[in-house]
This record gives sequence, structure tokens and C-alpha cells, in this order.
Amino acid sequence: MQHTLEIKDLRAAVETKEGRKEILKGVNLTVHSGETHAIMGPNGSGKSTLAYTLAGHPKYEVESGQVLLDGEDLLKMTPDERAKAGLFLAMQYPVEVPGVSMTNFLRTAKTEIDGKAPAIRSWVKELGEEMKKLRMDPKFAQRSVNEGFSGGEKKRAEVLQLELLAPKFAILDETDSGLDVDALRIVSEGVNRAKEKHEFGILMVTHYTRILRYIKPDVVHVFADGRFIKTGGPELADELEETGYDRYLPEGSDSESALA
Amino acid sequence: MSDYAQQQEVTLPTADPNDPYAFPASMPSSVDKEPRSFDPDAFAMPTPKIDDWRYTPLDRVSEFFNVFTPSNATSVAASLIDGTSLDSIEGVSFREIAKTQAPAGTVLKPSDRAAAVQWASTQKAYALEITQSQDTPVLVTVKGSGLDLDAIELVFTAAADVHADIVLEHAGQTRLAEGVEISTGKNSEVSFTSVQEWTPDSKHVGSHRIHVGEGAHLRHSVVSLGGDVIRIRMDQDFGGPEGDLNMLGIYFVDPGQHMEHRTMVVHNYPECRSRVVYKGALDGKKAHSTWVGNALIQPTAPNTDSYELNRNLVLTPGAIADSEPNLEIENGNIIGAGHASSVGRFDDEELFYLQSRGIPETEARKLVVRGFFGELVEEIGIPEISKHLMGVIDRRLARGESDDMKQVLEEN
Repeated sequence: MQHTLEIKDLRAAVETKEGRKEILKGVNLTVHSGETHAIMGPNGSGKSTLAYTLAGHPKYEVESGQVLLDGEDLLKMTPDERAKAGLFLAMQYPVEVPGVSMTNFLRTAKTEIDGKAPAIRSWVKELGEEMKKLRMDPKFAQRSVNEGFSGGEKKRAEVLQLELLAPKFAILDETDSGLDVDALRIVSEGVNRAKEKHEFGILMVTHYTRILRYIKPDVVHVFADGRFIKTGGPELADELEETGYDRYLPEGSDSESALA
Repeated sequence: MSDYAQQQEVTLPTADPNDPYAFPASMPSSVDKEPRSFDPDAFAMPTPKIDDWRYTPLDRVSEFFNVFTPSNATSVAASLIDGTSLDSIEGVSFREIAKTQAPAGTVLKPSDRAAAVQWASTQKAYALEITQSQDTPVLVTVKGSGLDLDAIELVFTAAADVHADIVLEHAGQTRLAEGVEISTGKNSEVSFTSVQEWTPDSKHVGSHRIHVGEGAHLRHSVVSLGGDVIRIRMDQDFGGPEGDLNMLGIYFVDPGQHMEHRTMVVHNYPECRSRVVYKGALDGKKAHSTWVGNALIQPTAPNTDSYELNRNLVLTPGAIADSEPNLEIENGNIIGAGHASSVGRFDDEELFYLQSRGIPETEARKLVVRGFFGELVEEIGIPEISKHLMGVIDRRLARGESDDMKQVLEEN
């Protein structure tokens, strides 16, 4: 089934010590099921803010705009309702939750997303198979969520959730960061497998073109100073690799803002 | 110089006899300066300046500081945990005894004014004596009967080599001063679990005095779930080498409530081991918890292995958790003496992470709090208690969840 995610003139701000700072300055984007959009831009451009604002992180205050998933405004929903509506955010820094086992967490999340508890036997089997494909030690299921996981293990655990929760749209926030070549390949293959199976749309936030060799984008966007400023095909990524982001930065702008 | 004298010279310590760190046994005790006595007047009237009382809301427990006439309305009964009467069970007896009759008053002495006042005021004492191992936990229930002040003394003894589990349950409405004496025999293995689940207007000031037999293992658990003020002071010693004491505590403090647990572990024999692990969750404005963990390792206790830990999870703003470990080590020849203590806020990032996976806020809180207590609840080792405890915690954190989710949470 075709689904559509429309971001319309989205503006969002964050409270800082120096006062309120607008980070998203009118974001417009439409993504359909099965499409992969790469969102590239310099550090501090607001890419990650866009990802977290879509998922509903309380730190970011929406000032105006709409985010419609099949016509329903996600901005009016709590983070868990957004997840149930079909949005998934693979985080750059997945959070550790001590004392809550992965298996407990995954089953609870699956139950919430599906609106019913998965049948135990098939669930255990599916979990085991997906973990094997991601080369995850079965012991991980018994460990606390993300606790003591290495950077690569955390990213695999994010992709595991992506496969199991089967969203309509997946936002991958710098999923390639901190991964060595082998881990990048395993994680990318996991994303591709999940996409093929569930036919979701992908918004892939990344600074580097490296991951694009494994997860092929249909559309590449340049995101700078809080909005999309250029859109093209995969060839745009190659151009960015050559020339960098400097030409897209407004004169005197602070590309290293800590608010990235 | 003879060979012998030379050898002696080499092995003799050369420390300055005036250096207290070289001869720690000569250091004055800083952990606990209070006397031990059955006489209330041996203790000064509590004030915030006295260490033992600095965290206690004194105005809310002042009625426990002077000898009073007890209502004697509190009911105390015993059975097996499955309801079976003790009459048909061999090796367990439960009876009311005179306060002046052993084993009452034989396990240590009161260590603060409230405990001495309780002893002096008490007219009713009960003894549960276990002389043979029991497969099923023995349950003693203490039922409050209103807000008239009452005082009771409960004595629990387990003979040498006995394996048994004891559960002491407190429920109802009360204003109770309670003395608990626990004495375990040589090489026994006993678990003792005291659950406080009083009405929100109840007060409970208690003293547990514990004697762990030589080579014996005692698991002493305290679970405080309800009451306006609960303050329990625990004193302990060992009866010989190789004793093993495991003190566990769980508390869940609601708005306005004060729950205070003070553990005093004394290592007085060699080769003994002690663990103190207390964990609490605080929910709401002016929820107040206090944990003070004292551990004293005496010069007579080489090869002591001791550790104490307290963790607090503050679920909502406005709660206060006091956490104070005190170690006094008077013996340099020990395996270990450590402590850890923390007060943590419920983490917004954890909450967001769980929510972003479709888990609503109340369920997310439940998961985190269950995780926080999980291991400790398992360790208490009485399935009836574990199940009940998780149920209580769940009900506290949320109402009206779907049946599907309830099932998943229970299976997990």
C-alpha cells in the first residue's frame, strides 16, 4: 500500500541559554513508500533537529507547519502515537535503559505498535532470525536495552527494531556514524532487507556519502541553515563529495553550531 | 645479635604508636556513639542535631519518644503462607509470651530512644520459634486496629541447622511502635521478609535487632510500600565466624510520605560476609526517603567481606531522597568494604526512546521502574512476595492498561 509523508513549512525552535533559537526555518518535503531520500548537509544545519522534531522529542518546539502521514498530522500526536502511526527514528545515539531487557522491550514495543501481543513462538523465532542476520550475539536479547553496547552494536539494535516494528516511514539519523566498514555493510544490508520486506520510505540523514554506496538514494537533498536548498538525483551526492558543503552556506554562518 | 632476634626485628611493625591510622582499633568510633539500653532515659530526647534523627520529621513521630500506655488492639497471628494452621506443623511454634520471658529481650539492646520507649511501653510480646526446617514459608501477620498508639515485641528464633523462610506482614491502619528480635542458630539458612503496607495515615516506628549464628546465612528483607511515616532501625551482630548476612530493602514512597531505613551492620567475628542493598522509588511532591547504612568492622573481624548499596529513583520532581553510607573499618586485614549510593531522576531521554518505539508514557515508566527493582525483587526469593510486589508497583504507576499489555508485562 502506498503511503505519503508530507512536511509542510515546518518551523521549530529550541530554548538555549542565549534565548530561543529557530533551527528549522520552513522545511518542505514529500516522501512516498518505497522511496529513499538522502538528506545531506553540513554540521549544524539542523538535519538531526528535523529528525527529532518529526519523532516528537520534547526539546524541540514546533512553531508552525504540518507533518502529514497519509493526511494525519503527526505534530498533534505524542511520540508513541507517532510510532503507532508508522514513523520510526533510528537514532544517532540510542539511549541506554538499564534494567529493561532487549527482549522485554522489543516485545512490549511490538505489542503497542501492532495493537496485539505477538504469538510467543513465532515471535521468538523471528527475533532470533533477525538477530542472526544482523550478526548479533543471541545473548543481546537478555541484556539491558543498549546498556554497555558498543557504537556498532547500538546501530545494529536500531536496525533490528526497524525490521521488527515495520514502520511506514523510517528516519535514519546518521546511522553510518561510528561504524567500521564491516559494520556499515551489515547495518546497510539490514536496512535494505527491511525496506524490501516492508516497502517503507526512508529519510536518511547523513553527513557523508559513504553510506550511499550501500543504501542507494532515489533523491538527494542538500539541507542548510534550517531548510532544503537543493534537490537532485544520486549524482548530487557525488558532487557534494567533490566540492563539500561550503558553497551552500550563507556568508558568515556558523556551520559548527552545537545545536546540530 | 642472635638469628631469632634478627628475624623478629624484620617482622615487627615500625609504625608510630600515636598514629591512629596505623592502629585503627584505637580510633574512637564515629559510626555510632549512641548507648545500648532498655532504659529510655539512657537516650537524649531526639533533636535534628542528633545524627540518628537528623533526617526524621520529628514532629510527626514525637508521640513515640515518651513511654505510653499501649492500646493492645493490634492483632498478631501466624500460619503457613498458604493458610495452613501451625497446629498441625511440626517444628514451628507461635505463642504470646511475657516480655520478661526469654527469648524476648535477649537479642541485643535498643539503640535509640524510640526503641527503648517501645520496649518500656510494650505489654504484649509474641514468639515464633522454628526448631525444624520448613519447606513452606511461615507467615506472621500484624494487623493495625486504628490510630490509638500501640506497642508490640516480636521474637523470631531459628534453631541450629534449620532452613526456613519467615514473612512478617503489616497491614491496616496503625500508630505502632514495634520491636523485632531475630536470632538464628549455627549453620542455619533463614530468610526473613518484613512487608509494611499500611494505610496512608499510619505511622510505624520499628527496631529490628538481629543475631546471625556462626556459619549461618540470613537474608533479611524489608519492603515498605505504604504509611505516613515508617522508620525502621536495624542492628545486627554475628555469633561466630563465617556468618553471612544479606540485607535487602525496597521502598516506594508516595507524596508526603516519609520512609526511613537505617541499617547497622557489625562485623565482630572473622570470615563473615555482609551485603546491604536498598532500592527505592519516590513518586510525587514531598515524598521523602532516608537510607543510612552503617557498617562497622571491628578489630576482631579479619577477612571481613562487606558491601552496601543504595539507589533511589526519583520519578517526579519534588521528592527528596537522603542516602548516607558510613563505613568504619578498624581492621586492616579484610577482603573488602565498599559502598555505593545514588539518587537518580527518571530520565527524559529514556522515556523518549521508549515512547518513540510506540510505548506510551505510563507503560514506559512501568518498564523502567520494574527494571529498577527487578533483580532485587527476585532476590527476596519468595514468589508470593515478588508477585505481590510487582503488582503493587504496577498499580501505583498506572491504571487502565489494555489486557494484552498486562499479559506481556506479566510474562516478561
